[in-house]
This record gives sequence, C-alpha cells and structure tokens, in this order.
Amino acid sequence: MIYAQLAVNGLVQGLVVGLGALALTLVFGIARFPNAATGDTMTFGAYTALTVHKASGSLVLGSIAAVGGAAVLALVAYLAVFKRLAGRSVVSLLVASIGIGFMIRAGLGIAFGHQQQVFNVPLSRPIRIAGLAINPLDLQLAVVAAVALAAVFAILYLTPIGRQMRAVADNRDLARVSGIRPERVMTAMWLIAGGVCAIGGMMLGIKTVVAPEVGWDMLLPIFAATILGGIGSPVGAVVAGLVLGVAQEVSTPFVGFTYKIALSFVVLLAVLLVRPRGLFGRIEGVR
Amino acid sequence: MDAYLAAIAIIALIYMLLSLGLTLQYGLTGLINFGHVGFFAIGAYTSALLSLQGVPLALSIPAAAVTAGIAAWPIGLISLRLRDDYFAIVTLGFSETVRLVITSEKWLTNGVQGIPGIPRLFESISVGIGAQLAVMGVLLVVTLAAIYAMRRIVASPFGRVIEAIRDNEEALQALGKDPARFKIQVLILGSALAGIAGAFYAHYITYIVPDQFIPLVTFYVWMAIIIGGVGRVSGAVVGTGLLMLFLEGSRFLRDIVPGVSEVEMASLRIGVVGLLLVLFTIYRPQGLMGDFTKR
Repeated sequence: MIYAQLAVNGLVQGLVVGLGALALTLVFGIARFPNAATGDTMTFGAYTALTVHKASGSLVLGSIAAVGGAAVLALVAYLAVFKRLAGRSVVSLLVASIGIGFMIRAGLGIAFGHQQQVFNVPLSRPIRIAGLAINPLDLQLAVVAAVALAAVFAILYLTPIGRQMRAVADNRDLARVSGIRPERVMTAMWLIAGGVCAIGGMMLGIKTVVAPEVGWDMLLPIFAATILGGIGSPVGAVVAGLVLGVAQEVSTPFVGFTYKIALSFVVLLAVLLVRPRGLFGRIEGVR
Repeated sequence: MDAYLAAIAIIALIYMLLSLGLTLQYGLTGLINFGHVGFFAIGAYTSALLSLQGVPLALSIPAAAVTAGIAAWPIGLISLRLRDDYFAIVTLGFSETVRLVITSEKWLTNGVQGIPGIPRLFESISVGIGAQLAVMGVLLVVTLAAIYAMRRIVASPFGRVIEAIRDNEEALQALGKDPARFKIQVLILGSALAGIAGAFYAHYITYIVPDQFIPLVTFYVWMAIIIGGVGRVSGAVVGTGLLMLFLEGSRFLRDIVPGVSEVEMASLRIGVVGLLLVLFTIYRPQGLMGDFTKR
C-alpha cells in the first residue's frame, strides 16, 4: 500500500520531469542539440508565475504569464545565440546553452535573491480514493499539466506547423526541399519549448520551493527521461518522465532521500548502453 | 599582501592543473568532459581521508591521482560507445553523482559537514609566508612538469593520434589505429591531473565540503580553456590566468562598489561566466591564443 501511495506522489513529480523532457526532446529532435538551458528556463517560469501569483492571487494568470514569458525568453535565446551557431558543432551549441542557462540563473538570483520562496497556496485536506490519500492540489496540477500536454500534442499532430515540425525532426533536408521554411518551424518550436518549460517550472515551484537552482537541479532527471523516451519522441518524453518520477519516489524507502536523484544517472547509463534509441525512439545511425 | 599574492598563485596553479587536464581531454582529443569537478572531488577526498589516517602526503597525493584515474576508466569505456553530446551529459551526471555520494556516505566523508583539519603540506613550517611559498614551489614544479609533459605529448606520435581523433575519427580508423585505447588513456591521464589538483586543494584549504565541488567549477575551467584557446597548452595557461583575474577581480569589485552583497556577487559571477561562454563560442571559437591556421 505504501508503494501505491508513493507511486501516486511520484506522478506529479513525474509530470514535472516529463514536461521538461518534452521541451528538451523537441529542441533535441528539431535543432539537434541538448539544450542545457532547459532547467533554467523552468526556473524562469517558476519565478514569473510566483511574481504574478503574488501580485494578482491567481494561479491561472500566473501560469499564463509564465508561459508567455518563458516562450519569449526561449525565442530570444534562439534568435540571439543559437541561430548564429547554426551549422557549428554540437559542442558549440551545448556550451552556448550552458552559458545561457548561467545567465538566466544569474539574472534570477540578482532580481529575486537566493532565499527560497514558496507559492502561497491554501492547504487542503487530502481526498481518500481507494485507500490512497490524494492531495487536491496535486489533482489540480495534474489537470494543468494535462491541459498543457493536450495543447502541445494538438499543435504537433493536428496543425500544419506541427506537421512541419515533425517533418524537420524527421529529415531536415527533405523538409527543406519540400518547401518547409525552417525559420518558421524554429520560431514555433522555441516558443512551445519555452512554454512547456514554464508549466513544468511552475509545478515544480508549487510542489517544492522556488530558488535560482531548482531548474538546473532537474537537468539530470530531464536528460534521463529524454533519452529513456527516445530522442525526438514527445510521447516518449512524457511517458519516460512519469516512469522516472514514480520510480524515484518508490525507490526512496530503499535508497534514501539523496540517492533517488542518482537513480536518474543509473537509468541514463543503462538506457545509453543497452537501448540507446530509448523506448519510443527510431533507430539512429549514430549514437 | 605577500601572503595574499601567494594564496592567489596557489589557487591559480591548482586551476592550471585542472585546465591542463581538460586541454588534454577536450582540447587535444575532443572528449567533452563536463564532469571534471567529479575527478577533482575524488582526488580531494582521497588524499584528505588517507592523510587523516596517517598516510604521509608524499603517498596520499599520488594515491589521489590513481583513484581519480581509476574512476575515469569505466567512464572511458562508456565514452567509446557514445556520441559526443551524450558523453557530455553522462560526465555531467557522473560529477553530480559523485557529489551525491560524498554528501550521503557520512561514515566516510562526514556528509555536508565536510572534513575539517586536513593536514597541510609542510606542516613542520609554521603557518605564514614561508609555508605558503613552499606549497607554491611544489605546485609550480608539478605544474611545470605537467606543462612539459603536455608539450612532449603534443609533439609525439601519441599526440598526433589523439589530435587526429578530434579532427577525424573515421579517417584514423581507416589508417588502422584504434581510437578506443587512446581515448581511455587520455581520459585517465586528464582525470589523474584533476585528482592531483584536488589533493593539493584539500591540503591547502584544509577543509572540504561537498558544496565546493559543484558543476560551476567544471565550467570555470571550461571558460578558462575556451577563452585561452582550445587545444593549446599556452591557451590553458593564459586562460587560467584570466580566470583568476576575473575571480579575484570580482572580489575587489565588491569592496569598491558599495551595496553589492556576496550572494549578488556570486550571481553576477555566474552571469559573467555564462556571457563569456556565449560570446567566445559565437565570436572567437579559437580563443585568444588559438591556432588560426586550422578551422
């Protein structure tokens, strides 16, 4: 029973990892580099949501502001840096993304200080369903995540720009010769990736605390989920995020509070060595 | 003032050893090691723990190099099977896992409280400028030996092979060389250097906690070699000098400009590191001492 309870608790954590991994996998699949600024973009979303929530008292307004703010931030990072590095080695892009992540974290640290902050959300009595205690707040967060995911998947699979994005992810040259403008695809992709990060960051902030390092600390689980799900696979990223979140919580009684983070590293290594294309990935020529 | 300069010189030489290790791994061979600080930590803890057990420093410091080198071996085996960017992620994860282990295994490392009272080098000389100069002298000898070794490596057949791995691995394989062996050797050598740096750090600071081994240290070193010029020994030297100037300069800046708290300065420092990484990647990928005949 205790494991079932832990698994339920892990689901929300898993959604946070899954959202981060979704943003990372979109960038990885389409722009072809691991964006190490993903975690710090999440932190940015968390602070934006926190600020607006404090001012207006509305989480809905907070999440809208966070999505908008982080989407613009991601787009600016693309236009100012990543676009100029197009055609350069993966290392250049990776190092630049770390630089951007540092700058975001520094900006947040200077603007908001290093004190941990919390969302002032009313405490509520857990609902009991089939013997499991479920926090109504978790339920609300799950709904928010579900709405965000539904929106992203609708864009990816039901709209022309989504189809173009998937085409670029599939085969960039083929997409280009068939008349897809890479510029538009990139713009849309970075806006979506930023927005997804914001939702994940806000959820993380509500569940735990908001501090300048919270997003960076999520990077390892996010990378692990992205690779477990298969690079470039949005469904895989979300599923793997959930699996990892639940596995982390369920493993806590065995490995302790600190080592549950190391579980991500073990998963990462195991997947890379045994099945580098992940659960849902396509076979790639190189790994 | 003399003591202060000596202290800076010691820290600079420790960073220099780290930069040289990374130059060997990334600059010459193209291995993207984002977990350098992990090997630094392993070296620091190994030598600190051994010396507290009564092992003389003349043995514990080499032991730190050996342990860090051995820790690099499995990472090297993994690296052979991974693409560059995946290797970067794995090494970053490795260094974070090292930090988790030293945080959690309290029986060995005393967890977040850290290890106080690590013996200094030259304990017989009383604390003061004399002891510092002695430490500086030893470090200088070690660093010069490392620089000399690196220069020899660059000029040797081994150096040509590892640079060929960086430039074109397929071509090298076509010529009948096995890149795998060389990559593992380079990783072990570079990590052993980081381990030595960690040992000197532990014995100089005399107090180590897990928080000293955050990934930011890795990226300080990355910043140094990117600014100095990737793949050049002179680049590592110049870059480390500039890094120290930046780290110490930011401390002075705080004394001059009023109203900047230590946490704000820490944020500012991270921000400048980020900005420099971005600017150099875009505008001057060869660094200051770069080889302009290539690329």
